[in-house]
Amino acid sequence: MPEIKVTPLGAGQDVGRSCILVSIAGKNVMLDCGMHMGYNDDRRFPDFSYITQNGRLTDFLDCVIISHFHLDHCGALPYFSEMVGYDGPIYMTHPTKAICPILLEDYRKITVDKKGETNFFTSQMIKDCMKKVVAVHLHQTVQVDDELEIKAYYAGHVLGAAMFQIKVGSESAVYTGDYNMTPDRHLGAAWIDKCRPNLLITESTYATTIRDSKRCRERDFLKKVHETVERGGKVLIPVFALGRAQELCILLETFWERMNLKAPIYFSTGLTEKANHYYKLFITWTNQKIRKTFVQRNMFEFKHIKAFDRAFADNPGPMVVFATPGMLHAGQSLQIFRKWAGNEKNMVIMPGYCVQGTVGHKILSGQRKLEMEGRQILEVKMQVEYMSFSAHADAKGIMQLVRQAEPDNVLLVHGEAKKMEFLKQKIEQEFHVNCYMPANGETVTLLTHPNIPVGISLGLLKREMALGLLPDAKKPKLMHGTLIMKDNNFRLVSSEQALKELGLAEHQLRFTCRVHIHDTRKEQETVLRVYSHLKSVLKAHSVQHLPDGSVMVESILIQATAHSEDPGTKVLLVSWTYQDEELGSYLTSLLKKGLPQAPS
Amino acid sequence: MDIECSRLLPSVCAVLIDPKQFVADDTCLEKLLDWFKTVTEAESSLLVLQENPCLTELLFHVLKLQDVSSSILSFTLRLAGIFAAHENSFQYLQQGEVLLSLFSEAGPLSRPAWEDPSVRSGWIQGVGSMVQHERAVQFLCDCGAIDVIFSLQGDHSLFVASAASQLLVHILGFTMRSRRASPLNTQDCDWPICAQMIVEHIEESLRSGTVPQITQALNVLTTLFGRCHDLWTEVLWMQMNPLVGSLLEKEPLLAAHSLVDLLLSMARSPVFSHLECDLWTLSTQALNRLSPTQAGPLALGILNLKDCPQTLRTQAFIILLQPLACVLRAACQPYGSPGLLDESVNDSVITDILLSSKSSCAGLLCQTLAHLEELQPLNHLLVDWPHAPLLSAVITVLQFCNGLATPASSFGDRLCNILIGCFRVQRSALDFLGTLSQGASPSELVRRVVEILLVYLRSPDSSPTVLKKAFQATLKWLLSLSKTSTSSDLCPQTQHFLRDLFPILQKRLCSPRWEVRDSALEFLTHLTKHWGGRAGFRQALLSSEVPELAEDLLRDPESYVRASAVTAMGQLSSRGLCSNPIGTESKNDEKKSLFLELLEILSTDSEGFPRRAVIQVFTEWLREGHTDVSKDKEQFVTKVLQVVSCDLDWEVRVQGLELALVFLVQTLGQYGTECPYAVEISSVTQSTLLTESLQMLCRVKLFEFIFSALCDCDRPVARKSCDILLYLKAKLVHHGSLQGSGEACTASLGTHSTAWLETTLRKWKARDQGQPGGDTDRIDCQGPDDVLEVLRSVDLEELQGTLAKSSDHIEKSPQSLLQDMLATVGILEENEADCY
Repeated sequence: MPEIKVTPLGAGQDVGRSCILVSIAGKNVMLDCGMHMGYNDDRRFPDFSYITQNGRLTDFLDCVIISHFHLDHCGALPYFSEMVGYDGPIYMTHPTKAICPILLEDYRKITVDKKGETNFFTSQMIKDCMKKVVAVHLHQTVQVDDELEIKAYYAGHVLGAAMFQIKVGSESAVYTGDYNMTPDRHLGAAWIDKCRPNLLITESTYATTIRDSKRCRERDFLKKVHETVERGGKVLIPVFALGRAQELCILLETFWERMNLKAPIYFSTGLTEKANHYYKLFITWTNQKIRKTFVQRNMFEFKHIKAFDRAFADNPGPMVVFATPGMLHAGQSLQIFRKWAGNEKNMVIMPGYCVQGTVGHKILSGQRKLEMEGRQILEVKMQVEYMSFSAHADAKGIMQLVRQAEPDNVLLVHGEAKKMEFLKQKIEQEFHVNCYMPANGETVTLLTHPNIPVGISLGLLKREMALGLLPDAKKPKLMHGTLIMKDNNFRLVSSEQALKELGLAEHQLRFTCRVHIHDTRKEQETVLRVYSHLKSVLKAHSVQHLPDGSVMVESILIQATAHSEDPGTKVLLVSWTYQDEELGSYLTSLLKKGLPQAPS
Repeated sequence: MDIECSRLLPSVCAVLIDPKQFVADDTCLEKLLDWFKTVTEAESSLLVLQENPCLTELLFHVLKLQDVSSSILSFTLRLAGIFAAHENSFQYLQQGEVLLSLFSEAGPLSRPAWEDPSVRSGWIQGVGSMVQHERAVQFLCDCGAIDVIFSLQGDHSLFVASAASQLLVHILGFTMRSRRASPLNTQDCDWPICAQMIVEHIEESLRSGTVPQITQALNVLTTLFGRCHDLWTEVLWMQMNPLVGSLLEKEPLLAAHSLVDLLLSMARSPVFSHLECDLWTLSTQALNRLSPTQAGPLALGILNLKDCPQTLRTQAFIILLQPLACVLRAACQPYGSPGLLDESVNDSVITDILLSSKSSCAGLLCQTLAHLEELQPLNHLLVDWPHAPLLSAVITVLQFCNGLATPASSFGDRLCNILIGCFRVQRSALDFLGTLSQGASPSELVRRVVEILLVYLRSPDSSPTVLKKAFQATLKWLLSLSKTSTSSDLCPQTQHFLRDLFPILQKRLCSPRWEVRDSALEFLTHLTKHWGGRAGFRQALLSSEVPELAEDLLRDPESYVRASAVTAMGQLSSRGLCSNPIGTESKNDEKKSLFLELLEILSTDSEGFPRRAVIQVFTEWLREGHTDVSKDKEQFVTKVLQVVSCDLDWEVRVQGLELALVFLVQTLGQYGTECPYAVEISSVTQSTLLTESLQMLCRVKLFEFIFSALCDCDRPVARKSCDILLYLKAKLVHHGSLQGSGEACTASLGTHSTAWLETTLRKWKARDQGQPGGDTDRIDCQGPDDVLEVLRSVDLEELQGTLAKSSDHIEKSPQSLLQDMLATVGILEENEADCY
């Protein structure tokens, strides 16, 4: 029985380090190849030993698919392709391919800077890895090989994020990656057609949450920034290179314009130009509003946001600064934080997750006295705010996607076990499908019932239609014909056409049966009795008495002979063709019952 | 354990026990265990337990909780194992029956939490840590834990199942190590009970006839023979040999992959590697029984062995050669072309696989090519390495893949249909072709290699990855051809190749795919690096449009390509192959000099890769004394440092410091040389020269760049700057230039930090701004005296020590971890969900 096997190596009942192996009709696909930022050792990468124990990586895996550029989905890719040794194809969307190396570079630099690690992928490795990537367009069916095909769908979440459908023959699975079912400032909502996959593998970060409106969070953010700036304070927003930062920039830019604010907004590390470049390049991936206004005004060409110089940090007066890295653990954002932390008028807004141990994590957990290098104590007097702008589908959104795709089975990943359990029940109740939530290393095996597509000849279809069997997608109908398997294709044709196509001669197959009747009369008379009996019973059929003394009903021939040993018994020889099998069987059973008494 | 941690620990344990509390970050528990492991390895674990009773309480208490989370339960099991690894702590915990309640069947095994793989994994890890002394093994046998491990071998979590098998190996190895005499046979009652149990279990599994159980048993043996090379393993093998042997006779062959692993693991063990070992008979049998795809890895493994019977090696080599021999026979070969294998070798199974489907054909060929590629460097070990026929075969594979082969049979026809356009095979074949450049090849075959490489480089259908491999293989062949050439210039064959190659390179430099443009540039750079001085190459290059096209790519929309173009142009210019001189001044308006062009990239490019490439090229030019740079080195360095100092990428700044160091060494290096044959210069002359040099370094604003770098927020920049300044200081001390005058100097000697330096730099800047016509954005130090003052005042040695520590050394401390865990409780619940 064909099956689909799914084994998460990462993101099984946890968040981070997404890496899911799917085996579908003998094809092996790795979905995402992420890393965990919370570890500095081997634990940061998925445990690939499961794959390597199956022989050479490149021989075992047919392809790797990356859903989007976040490091928990692509961070281990250069390690996997350049250090572990995978040399096969990697698929991602065009924006992901463009932005991925920037984030990987960013991360490499942080790792090298922070730990001075040498056993880490290099810049050249990132490039070599990206050169193996095949970029795909939305809704483009890509043939990985003769049997395996993939197709990308829009996922919202971040620029270039995609859901992927993997298909081998009639079996298919959809992997959502991270997605967002509600549009935001610069991106649209995720969408997939009613593709009815055998399996939908969906993220479930907010499995139990119905998220408050993003507008409220945005209002809150703007209010806090505005208040701080009004009282002459400085606002620090630590961010990562690309993604959420751009959304916040659009938000502030629009607000500054509307409120006619004069306080400067700075963006460090020259990322505005870079972001601007990519958003311009991939404008089709943004939402409708941005696309519409793009002709008059490019949303990403900021009027109020300027490039930051480190000397500006000491300038008096209010300002807002976006600085990297996002967890306040090194570099410019940490340097600015140190300068501003002592002033209660200032504020730091953390818009994302921070790994344990980082300054970002410490201040978010309420620690106000931080020990810095050289045992110096830094007292944090500035206000600390956390603002979540992550763009994941909430419980409602996940249900909506399941409804949209109509899968046979659902599998939850990228979430916490407890929350998944709740959502699993909900999905099973509402959609009456099986829902799975394997932990890392656990394999879910689904048996599938593959559909084998069969082409039908026009002639046969017309003939069937003439019988009143109009095709209807919802009501399966029984068709009669000959199945031809040729060149890996199946076709249903009429038997005549099949014979013609295959160059075969038709063989006549006749069934014969002997029926014993007690009748002392002569054979001719018995035949006449048979004839009259059948004529009276089979009114709708043509019953003929042939000159040679036999009776013919359609193609069925009946002859009578005397029994060699018992002259009082006549033997009726009944023979019929395969086509009249039903009638032949009926006639035989009828004759076996005997003939009606003849009037004496 | 330090006092601060001891103080925090009870509160942390209380948090862990409290089911209402929530440890937000999933990495905290892992890091906590890492720390406990370090602590128990460094000091008495018993003392740690006694001095911190909260730990034992934690172990006790967790079990009593009904609704304990699986992560805490798993943590507790692992923690108990870490402490129980030490015999005295084990006894201490046993007294309270903690271990019994954690690891026996009465423990978590009977709880619903056992369903969670993390708990089972925690249990295995706990047991694994514990097995460091005999008491622990005895305990495990008594409490039925060994049976639990047996059942966990078949766990539905791959990680748990694999850990259970590893654990069995660990226990078996440990119990056998801890006994004195070597057992004579496995029936010997001298074998420890625990070992007997495990061995019996392996035997049962091997006899079971079910694939999962056989696989588990084979995996345990594989790991065991791989890790443990004691003599008792041979005795164990005597027991297992008939069982494994009977597996090879079964139809169908079960667990083939695991069988191969076992045989290879044994073959690598010194215990089994003697020539009389029955392992070789088994391996011969396996090679006969396994399918070609399964036999490939075994054959490769055998050929990689130092010692093994020659007949087996020959058999293994035939298995690896067969697929290529089939392909070779499938196409018409030029007259006199060498064949690969004797035609009498039966290859019907191979042909069946090659023809069954595209994926099985590609799979077998890719595997074979990869195996042979791996073997090539060892070809000296194989007396009969058929270099020429292999080369011919790989060319034929490549010809099949692009429809150039002439099929010699109907098999060839069908193979042609299957392989045409198969990128997977093309990539593997090109890799192997490149490897085969090592070795003497007949000229006729070299001609065919050149031909096929040109076809692939020229083909419009080639995918970027195939083209990259084609460029790599071409480079290898070109370099190997030049090695064999006796004259200083290229041989006519190579020259001819180059003439054909450059028009293709031109085309590829204009490819719409950035990956192709980049691979072409990388190829050009490598070739220039090796052959830049050879007249034939220079001629071919300069008569093509390649240099101009490469220069155009400096303005490529893709940053990776810009970076590669920068490196290529840097290399071309170094070799005098660039039409555009690098003069630091623009001589005419129509065309910018290369230097200015690169300087513009350094100052304006929004991506880091091209900027990094530029500064590397500049450093290289300076280091190798590029003619155009040497004309006005001062101006060159001034301009470069001016741009680099403003760069936002710390790697560019670090590379900028490297350039500064090269300049510094070139300027100062001539003094104080300790070479015994150096011409003596009088100390007065030296001092004057040194002052002049320092003045020159000040003029190029080298010191202000290095000093600001010392205050840089990015650690690697500050570290590099500190190293340079220490080098300078050592140089100056050597000449006595650092001895300041007056009391103030002595008082400030090495007492200042970077904060002082920052203030000083600001003062200099302010002073500079006060001067009419001064560059307001620049910090301008006044002269050698100011530099010497800074060098005297800043405690560079201490700074170097601080900077050498990675910037996360505080984050990583156990105090920080404990504080974070306490501070995080309950607060980050909402934040945590907001991952990335």
